[in-house]
Amino acid sequence: MSSTALVELTIDGNKVSVAAGTTVFDAARLNGIAVPTLCHQQNETPVGVCRMCVVDVGARVFTASCVRPVEAGMVVNTNSEKVHRARRTLVELLMADHPSPCTREQHSGDCELEALARRENLTRPRFAPHRTGRAKDSSSPSIAVDFDSCILCDRCVRGCSEIRDHFVLARMGKGTAAGIAFDDQRAMGESSCVSCGECMVSCPTGALTNKSFTHTALGTGPSFEPVPVEELQQLPFFQGVSGTFLSLNRGAVVRREFKRGDIICREGEYGSTAFYILEGKARVSISNPMAHVKTKGAVKKFLGKLSSKLAQRQQDQRDEETYKRWIPIDAPVDLDYDSPVAELNPGDLFGEMTCMSLYPRSATVRAETDCTMLEMLRNVLDIMQRNKNFRAQLEKSYRQRALDSHLRAVPVFAELTDEFIGSLRESVELIRYSPGQVICRQGEPADCFYLVRIGFVKVTQSHLGGEMVMAYLSRSEYFGETGLLREDVRTATCTALDHVELVRIGAHDFKRMLAEFPEVRRKLEVVEQERAQMNRERLSVLQNVPLDDFLTQGLMEAQSLLLLDLTSCTRCDACVRACADAHDGVTRLVREGLRFDHYLVATSCRQCLDPLCMVGCPVGSIRRRNSLEVIIEDWCIGCGLCAENCPYGNINIHPFNVMAEDPAAPGHKKAMVKQKATSCDLCTEYAEPSCVYACPHDAAHRVDPRKFFAGLLNQAPVTTKR
Amino acid sequence: MRIDRTHQKWLAASLIILSVATAVYIVYAAHSPAGPSGGSPVGLAFGIVGSAFMLFAGLLAGRKKLPVWRLGRAQTWMRGHLWLGLLSLPLILFHGGFRFGGPLTSVLMVLLIIVVASGLFGAALQHYMPNVMTAEVSKETIFEQIDHVRAGLIAETDEMIAATAGSGSAPGAKQSARSAAAVGQTTALAPEAALPLSTFYANEMRPFLQEKGPQNQPLANANTARIVFAELRALLPPEAHDTVKRFEEICDEERQLRRQARLHHWLHGWLMLHIPLSFALLLLGCVHAVMALRY
Repeated sequence: MSSTALVELTIDGNKVSVAAGTTVFDAARLNGIAVPTLCHQQNETPVGVCRMCVVDVGARVFTASCVRPVEAGMVVNTNSEKVHRARRTLVELLMADHPSPCTREQHSGDCELEALARRENLTRPRFAPHRTGRAKDSSSPSIAVDFDSCILCDRCVRGCSEIRDHFVLARMGKGTAAGIAFDDQRAMGESSCVSCGECMVSCPTGALTNKSFTHTALGTGPSFEPVPVEELQQLPFFQGVSGTFLSLNRGAVVRREFKRGDIICREGEYGSTAFYILEGKARVSISNPMAHVKTKGAVKKFLGKLSSKLAQRQQDQRDEETYKRWIPIDAPVDLDYDSPVAELNPGDLFGEMTCMSLYPRSATVRAETDCTMLEMLRNVLDIMQRNKNFRAQLEKSYRQRALDSHLRAVPVFAELTDEFIGSLRESVELIRYSPGQVICRQGEPADCFYLVRIGFVKVTQSHLGGEMVMAYLSRSEYFGETGLLREDVRTATCTALDHVELVRIGAHDFKRMLAEFPEVRRKLEVVEQERAQMNRERLSVLQNVPLDDFLTQGLMEAQSLLLLDLTSCTRCDACVRACADAHDGVTRLVREGLRFDHYLVATSCRQCLDPLCMVGCPVGSIRRRNSLEVIIEDWCIGCGLCAENCPYGNINIHPFNVMAEDPAAPGHKKAMVKQKATSCDLCTEYAEPSCVYACPHDAAHRVDPRKFFAGLLNQAPVTTKR
Repeated sequence: MRIDRTHQKWLAASLIILSVATAVYIVYAAHSPAGPSGGSPVGLAFGIVGSAFMLFAGLLAGRKKLPVWRLGRAQTWMRGHLWLGLLSLPLILFHGGFRFGGPLTSVLMVLLIIVVASGLFGAALQHYMPNVMTAEVSKETIFEQIDHVRAGLIAETDEMIAATAGSGSAPGAKQSARSAAAVGQTTALAPEAALPLSTFYANEMRPFLQEKGPQNQPLANANTARIVFAELRALLPPEAHDTVKRFEEICDEERQLRRQARLHHWLHGWLMLHIPLSFALLLLGCVHAVMALRY
């Protein structure tokens, strides 16, 4: 499909252009026009049941904008007198059945229906009230149910089934007897409900509210000051967050005071909270040495033992060394490779990836001045991320402070001028995706370009016989350029692996960029061709893939295997000793693993085509060269997550004695042990890996499995199992 | 190391060297009125070449201590060790004119014969044993880890028997994550129903896993173990059969560990003789050379 997949329409007199398939509601939202709604939430499938979002598209009747796709030439009126009158009547009808003030309104004053009624200045409904007569359900220990307050918006039902996959809630009955039900019309406390609270958080009214039974405590002690709900709601970015939710999660957000020089979090540590700076400044930095593990031979590569040392980029320029000068961290800023220090200011949120996906802290944060921060748990951050006020503030902060460095961290965008980036500030959009959510599908029209801000995206392509993983993308990597460059459909499906936040640049801006910056276009085309070539090579691998063992052992995904021929191997361990000798006593090879035919697939880096080790690296320091060889960048913080993620146990953590800044005494250095991740480097210093070279029995071989086992594979019938 | 077609060049070179040496020796012996002697120029040449071959063979130990040094591939050294070491025997025999001489040279000859013979024996073992181990020990582990794996098996069986027959049945039962899944699948039996299982475990299986008891105990043999477990199954209710099946697998793994240990000892045990005698041979060879040249 070509660029005609973009549809032009008019909303409230403004000509706008959006991708085909976009709803009128989203088209309006993307162009800054707010349409009121009750049943629609962005993270749930639109159902169009409340009709509050009705708009006039010139048809016989008004249409629910949340479910109506745009059409070319459509003229939409979102707020005409007729539309407004219809909405007002809807509110009146809903309020007639609503026990005002409902529990939520009484507790936290934020019932969405009553807020709409206030906006419409409705004090006395014209219609007679009708109550369902269903009793309140107080059987759950944590959630109170008031069926009379329910407006049948189905947000709770979709929250339960779409967001949490619990499928406890559903709609029962019809007409005026319709209502929500737990399992097969059971009391909530007797149903299979796990009290996750998603329904309560989704509910716009007082139908599902907190019973204040449960407490979530982030910490105790003088430095953890719980913030009362009322006070939280006074803060601009908490406005709009359900008071019921905040009340339920008392203790899940605390105020922390830090003195100048205090360490707020350290790189590599595991945590579960995010920080929001209220006052003061903080310094974020990486203290692990900016260097990679270099294995070196001494005395002209002949007699000396090998030794592993830390080498900086200037001392050891590796093939295809990344030209990226910015290190992605779990904060709104990236760090400069040459000086990995940055400042965080009031309004900045950091630790999102740690909080949402439990990754290790990517950097050390120290209070630069006396600081006041809000520290919050995942449930609070999750809700905050859905709060439009909070998101608006985050987006504003991102556009003003981080968009520049984020775009420039991408090498192909290094040429962009300040003016152009300035022009993008207002049009880019930050979009969040939950784990497993599909961002774009292969074959869909390409309507925008994405830059990863937070999280990991899996790129897959469908082929006959199954789906193949093409890449994992992390912060500052991008996708969507192929379809836009070719003016064609998406060539791959992209899925959020964890909590992902993307910067979305629309097709119009992208094309403007290509037109204004031919060098950017040229670089993008080069990257696109490289990716296409890599994909073709990978695809050729998919052919002739028989043998269950070959597949189940992941050998098809390996580019290089260390095989020990068990009919020759005398189990003397010369290979292991050689590896240890070659790497300062830390072996990267264990003579154990699965068997395939009469070979032992030893535990040593396989250079996987589907490198799971790369998923989750908090600083994006593990990547693949174009040769598909795994390389660990200088800014590895030694957290060990890649070693945990490698399904074959083939990544090692190598300790080094270094002089580094003393956390207890800023500005002073002291000797300490720092860790770096390493994997088999194939002893690239030499013509042959040491393990193979040192095997006296001709049993150790480094091979390309598909070539080495070609004979075996071709004997079996071709069956694809994916 | 497997002696296969890749050794053809070494075999051919060795045969040529041997043929040339034999021809030289025949001519030399035929033209020596007093018979061949180690002190004659030709005899001395045989001695030097033979010693050089022995020395090269001996240097393999040093090469292995420096695995990363680029001194030539280890397998080349190993092939040289095999073929040149073997050639050293006829060359030294030619050197001595097939006579053992005095006490020192007799000791040297005996040592050389034992070293070469043990080397041939070892080469034969290393040719066949890896195949045997690969075929018979599917659950092979790292040799040094055998005790650790065995301890894990004992911990697992202790937990399973405690879960099935009560904690009193497992003398060393401890909490361990290893067997959590297996334990999760076991079904607790009434004490009287579990009695055959707990008795079997205490009297036969645990001593077997601990390597106590006679070598010929029933569980040490796959066939007799199969009968023992079939009998045990007959005595137990069906809900205990999964536990019995897992016990049978564990006994099989233990047998494999024992088999691996035995094969490992065969694979490397001969070196206990070969290496010290090789060093003694080289040392006494030096003494012999100094004495012969000086006196």
